[in-house]
Amino acid sequence: MATRGGVQRVNGSTQGKIFQYKLVLLGESAVGKSSLVLRFVKGQFHEYQESTIGAAFLTQTLCLDDTTVKFEIWDTAGQERYQSLAPMYYRGAQAAIVVYDITNQDTFNRAKTWVKELQRQASPNIVIALAGNKSDLARKRAVEMEQAQVYAEENNLLFMETSAKTAMNVNEIFLEIAKKLPKSDQSSAGGGSGSGRPGVDLTQSSQNTSSGCCKS
Amino acid sequence: MDEHRIDPDEERRTIVERYTKGREKIRDQIGDWEDPQNLVLFTDRYGFIHDQQLPPRLSKHEAKVRQKEISRTSKWLKMLEQWDKYFPNSEKLRKRVYKGIPNSLRGEVWTRLMEVPQVKKEQEGRYQELLDYGLYNSKDIRQIDLDINRTFRNNDMFRDRFNAKQQELFRILVAYSVYNKEIGYTQGMSQIAALLLMYTSNEEDAFWSLDRLMSGEKYAMHGFFIDGFPKLQRFADHHDKILKKFLPRVYKHFKKFDINATLYTLKWFFQCFLDRVPFSLTLRIWDCFMLDGEMILTCFSYTLLKLHKRSILDKSMEDLISFLQIDLEKDFGYLDDQAIRELQIAINELRKQKMESPAKTNTDAEKPTRPFGMLLQADNVSIMTGTDDRSIAGSINLKNSDSVSLAQTSRTSSEVDQNELENTELDDVEVNDFCKIQRSCSIYDNVDINESIEAAKRLSELTTNSDQRGFFKLQITLS
Repeated sequence: MATRGGVQRVNGSTQGKIFQYKLVLLGESAVGKSSLVLRFVKGQFHEYQESTIGAAFLTQTLCLDDTTVKFEIWDTAGQERYQSLAPMYYRGAQAAIVVYDITNQDTFNRAKTWVKELQRQASPNIVIALAGNKSDLARKRAVEMEQAQVYAEENNLLFMETSAKTAMNVNEIFLEIAKKLPKSDQSSAGGGSGSGRPGVDLTQSSQNTSSGCCKS
Repeated sequence: MDEHRIDPDEERRTIVERYTKGREKIRDQIGDWEDPQNLVLFTDRYGFIHDQQLPPRLSKHEAKVRQKEISRTSKWLKMLEQWDKYFPNSEKLRKRVYKGIPNSLRGEVWTRLMEVPQVKKEQEGRYQELLDYGLYNSKDIRQIDLDINRTFRNNDMFRDRFNAKQQELFRILVAYSVYNKEIGYTQGMSQIAALLLMYTSNEEDAFWSLDRLMSGEKYAMHGFFIDGFPKLQRFADHHDKILKKFLPRVYKHFKKFDINATLYTLKWFFQCFLDRVPFSLTLRIWDCFMLDGEMILTCFSYTLLKLHKRSILDKSMEDLISFLQIDLEKDFGYLDDQAIRELQIAINELRKQKMESPAKTNTDAEKPTRPFGMLLQADNVSIMTGTDDRSIAGSINLKNSDSVSLAQTSRTSSEVDQNELENTELDDVEVNDFCKIQRSCSIYDNVDINESIEAAKRLSELTTNSDQRGFFKLQITLS
């Protein structure tokens, strides 16, 4: 999304810096994209989460050593027909989570297609994570973990099996992404919604202190 | 991994079976997790379930509204008796629609505003045919099932998995997916169909209502739901134009955050504000939409931003999106009557500038290009491929009732030669190369004849009755 007025240093503060990143969720319908976001952002799980039409937007911050990372999350519709809108959401994104359902092989194949598209079309430095969701349904597993692991390594992706239902690895996958994202001041200065914009360093202003989690 | 591959046919059969049997018969197969677990303690007048007790008494305002609604109902009943006198152009009808259609008559009035009764009469028997065909042939059954599982589960009507309303919703969407193959099924349609089901008196009415919304000229939602969503861009561009002219600061505010209009208007346009404003207001907007069609999408989008201009300008990007996405649904900040009055003001304002609707498209990109619902249950069918591979002639032995729909269909398809349809004999057909399919066939899709043949083969296993009354020949040229 947009420029936030470049880098502002925290003036002589004891507080950590806030870096802001745009993150997009992609993947086949009903693999649990919205559920992952809902778990991460609100700590909730709805068994019958409504299908996402177009896209939904949410934010969440998390704490990383002495910095705070804020994710602007675009959660997209999974049906293939909506794929034509996806570039609008992943444009300028610094991170993506491509989600599949471990009980359904087709969704894994679809995830690979998304990874390919991101590698071709998205920002060159985008951090991509692959999430094998619904790990609580391991007894119905159709995609072996090793298979996904190998694929992820070959493509330089972060990989975790997650469960939005039990919360397993949900915060963790966002945290791993946050760790991998670049946090250098000079690169933040570029700003703009163009490609590969690293996180924007924001001053933690008095009005949104509640969103920062890092206290020193 | 092959043992894990799901055979699509098998999957389709399993899904269809569950919906066909319904909740009572498959009780033991429905997992606990498939139903919402909270107890139904409090439902509002629309059947939505709330986890908190609703106020024991109606608020003063709400009580007044209900009282008015009751007094209006008798007026509406009289109007319905002499419908032709009022529909489509009477000022009285317009005034009353904008005041709100009484909830108890909403379904009846909506279907009349969409002219469903006529369509239903013309298409008598078609719904069942489409359904029978769709249950065996629809390619969208998996997606439809996934979405029914999450459509209005917070409403009493759709709460229990595979209950009667979910069965109806399934059948409507499956039938529609083979009726309008350019759309098939697109996410977003399940809520529309469910809303129609809440109000229309039966499933067939809801089906033809969905058809009217998609292909009726007044609503033309077809262009929103087909591949590439061409109508979305056109409406979003027009929306931006309106903002630039009437709400320039709001326009700049969105621009500042790089918020493209398609991002936040998509659900407004695709579903006419469902889930984006409180349900009672959604219904009022739908009342107007049923009467005046697509311009309501444009005009209410403008109204909404105009009413909330101040708070919009104060908001950061994330607050702004959550305001439009979530907050306004919980509390619109204006009474329904006020909002609709503002809508009327906005319509007049935009009309003066001829901006109440986007300019019509000069392409056919948003319109249906293929015939609808060609499920011709024929007795003897031959499909011939011409020598030049560009033309395919098919001769179909049809039931008389099908001839009507076949002829109608040709209106939408320039490729089908009307004359050929009307004067044909099986003998006329010159055969170069043909495959003959006994007993039944579906020539639905004029560009994919192989698909039709495949479907016909499957159908022929199921259809045994024969009914030879007329002969028709289809001359189809592949472009």
